[in-house]
Amino acid sequence: MSGTPGPILEVRDLHTQFSTLDGIVRAVDGVSFDVARGETLGIVGESGCGKSVTAMSILRLIPRETGRIASGSIRFEGEELTTLTEEEMKRLRGHRISMIFQEPMTSLNPVLTVGTQIAENVVRHLGVSWKQGRERAFEMLDLVRIADARRRLDEYPHQLSGGMRQRVMIAMALSCDPQVLIADEPTTALDVTIQAQILDLMIELKEKTGTAIVLITHDLGVVAETTERVVVMYAGRKVEQASVETLFDEPLHPYTRGLMRAIPRLDVEADAAGTRPRLQEIPGLVPILTQPIIGCAFAPRCGFATDRCRRERPPLIDAGAGHLVACWEVDRVRRAA
Amino acid sequence: MSDAPVLQVEGLVKHFPIQGGLLQRQVGAVRAVDGVTFSIRRGETLGLVGESGCGKSTIGKVVLKLIEPTAGKIVLAGEDVTALKPGAMWTHRRRIQTIFQDPYSSMNPRLPSGTIVGEPLENFGIARGAARDEQVAQLFRRVGLRPEAMRKYAHEFSGGQRQRLGIAKALSVNPDVIVADEPVSALDVSVQAQVLNLLIDLQEEYGLAYLFISHDLAVMRHISHRIAVMYLGRIVELADKRTLFTQPLHPYTEALLSAATAPDPKRRGLRKKIVQGDVPSPANPPPGCHFHTRCLYATAQCRVTAPPLLEVAPGHHVACLRRPVGGDPGPLSIPG
Ligand SMILES: Nc1ncnc2c1ncn2[C@@H]1O[C@H](COP(=O)(O)OP(=O)(O)OP(=O)(O)O)[C@@H](O)[C@H]1O
Ligand SMILES: Nc1ncnc2c1ncn2[C@@H]1O[C@H](COP(=O)(O)OP(=O)(O)OP(=O)(O)O)[C@@H](O)[C@H]1O
Ligand code: SF4
Ligand code: SF4
Ligand SMILES: [Mg+2]
Ligand SMILES: [Mg+2]
Repeated sequence: MSGTPGPILEVRDLHTQFSTLDGIVRAVDGVSFDVARGETLGIVGESGCGKSVTAMSILRLIPRETGRIASGSIRFEGEELTTLTEEEMKRLRGHRISMIFQEPMTSLNPVLTVGTQIAENVVRHLGVSWKQGRERAFEMLDLVRIADARRRLDEYPHQLSGGMRQRVMIAMALSCDPQVLIADEPTTALDVTIQAQILDLMIELKEKTGTAIVLITHDLGVVAETTERVVVMYAGRKVEQASVETLFDEPLHPYTRGLMRAIPRLDVEADAAGTRPRLQEIPGLVPILTQPIIGCAFAPRCGFATDRCRRERPPLIDAGAGHLVACWEVDRVRRAA
Repeated sequence: MSDAPVLQVEGLVKHFPIQGGLLQRQVGAVRAVDGVTFSIRRGETLGLVGESGCGKSTIGKVVLKLIEPTAGKIVLAGEDVTALKPGAMWTHRRRIQTIFQDPYSSMNPRLPSGTIVGEPLENFGIARGAARDEQVAQLFRRVGLRPEAMRKYAHEFSGGQRQRLGIAKALSVNPDVIVADEPVSALDVSVQAQVLNLLIDLQEEYGLAYLFISHDLAVMRHISHRIAVMYLGRIVELADKRTLFTQPLHPYTEALLSAATAPDPKRRGLRKKIVQGDVPSPANPPPGCHFHTRCLYATAQCRVTAPPLLEVAPGHHVACLRRPVGGDPGPLSIPG
């Protein structure tokens, strides 16, 4: 971890919206968080809660035709990103901030060899010679433990397995020593044995390079095993934030608790064959984001909801030692154990 | 659970031809399913787990007779249906229904959901008109949908609700067996819990047998009674779930279990790096034991001899040369 003080990335009151036929989608609705140097921050939540849009906002990759960052601030090393020109952003992306996505094929160029793609990125950002770029590409493929890296340099993405493509994405993303790596569901499309390899690789490389990682996932298992701090999102809002130990030890938001009780678990004591304890359901559905949400977004599904919850949006409060939770009834929730 | 199997599969093989060259002649075959045997009893869930491409969906399609097996036998409720032509299969189709990962793709977008769910009732001549509507309304209630929603179209439902529609449709003809291919994989965990609970309730109520396909071990352990672990077209281990999770005997099962993440940061780092490398292509599987290219315990013999699936303890079947019947090479160490 780098010793420089202050967060590397600061997101403040981010609002990102899309205009659609059904109205304005408030995909990210006032989200704030910091990423410390060298840390791994998890962002977790169900489909549509705004995880990817948050990532795309940071990278300024929101499609211009329909979407925009409506308000808020994103600072990287103290520099405001929301007002940078596209040219300035291009110099940052893939260099000081880089990303990997769920489906590597969408971000790899099918007609270029992987060596050429990584080398191009290195040459563009670091201004080195093509030969040095190629050498860097080789080093990176070797670093992500692609066997026979020298030969793979000259292969095309389609010649690689899904797991290898994701390794190539990681190699490319780390090729210019970024300070922040944003990984959006990097292992979701992979088989479990391959997922385990990729997660181990990311953690190991993070420790080597000191790159901070923002790991976006819907998988609480992945969060528990790889992150240090976690932001839980619901309907475009941050509802809870804590260190990973605290979050799993004592989740305080009724939604987070609900999620943890809804998942079937492998790690709990094995039950006698044939008995299947019921999973706890979270009743109902996520809200529609085209309607402005009055009060707490979780209220229609929450067993603790009161009238106030339906009227007033709960602020994020510090429940102790930086454990943030947006819930009016946190004391009652805590007592309910 | 009664003892008579409602579905028996013996030596099932499904090869897909690979065409090549100018004349599109067959140059090889994808050995998607390569000699699989199992049975399912009334009221029982058999889980099929394994990594992408190992042949799970192909088994599902073959037992549904959506595709013809290359070899092997399928016995449904005591009757050999392997050789039945589509016409003759028709009467058996009621007995075996399916739920997909993405029910939406199989639903006509122009028909109201009530009509979609009621289709099998009409097709099998079970009920028409008002009687059908009444049965469909009951099915809607049973799967947790409001009967008024029968007028809505598939696109107006959420993913979880569409899965309920799919379940209602499968249920409508009172089947013995339901093949559920990744039915909750596309759902959020909160909705996944609703659907898993519903499937378990329905099983208990109607004595349904499930062939449940998933790559998610936690879901598998929750819903299954017995679990078959597949690797490249073959079952490598089959046991009741407790045994499988506490005393796995096949190195691949061990690898799968140790690769699974757990929602508990205290267990961090316990995940052992057991298996390296990628799954080989089923078009060109390694000789001998298919797993030998990734197996920590592989010997020279594993590279030439395909291990048969043997019952090493009552109900516990393993296909590994390290596991001779009666012999105990010592337990593999599995965390949890
Ligand atoms: N280009 C777009 N136009 C309109 N709406 C959009 C667009 N992109 C995202 N949205 C909406 O914004 C919301 C948040 O989407 P986002 O992709 O961030 O979700 P997510 O948390 O990443 O979900 P998932 O787990 O499914 O990836 C959703 O309601 C989505 O439909
Ligand atoms: N119609 C087909 N023609 C040719 N090959 C096929 C066909 N259907 C499946 N295969 C191949 O057979 C193998 C097994 O496929 P199958 O869909 O059964 O795997 P699966 O275990 O269900 O995987 P997944 O978890 O990805 O759904 C794969 O290699 C696949 O590419
Ligand atoms: S604020 Fe109210 S509705 Fe929202 S989570 Fe807390 S108790 Fe539930
Ligand atoms: S037969 Fe050999 S290669 Fe196959 S799983 Fe057993 S020990 Fe490993
Ligand atoms: Mg996303
Ligand atoms: Mg499949």
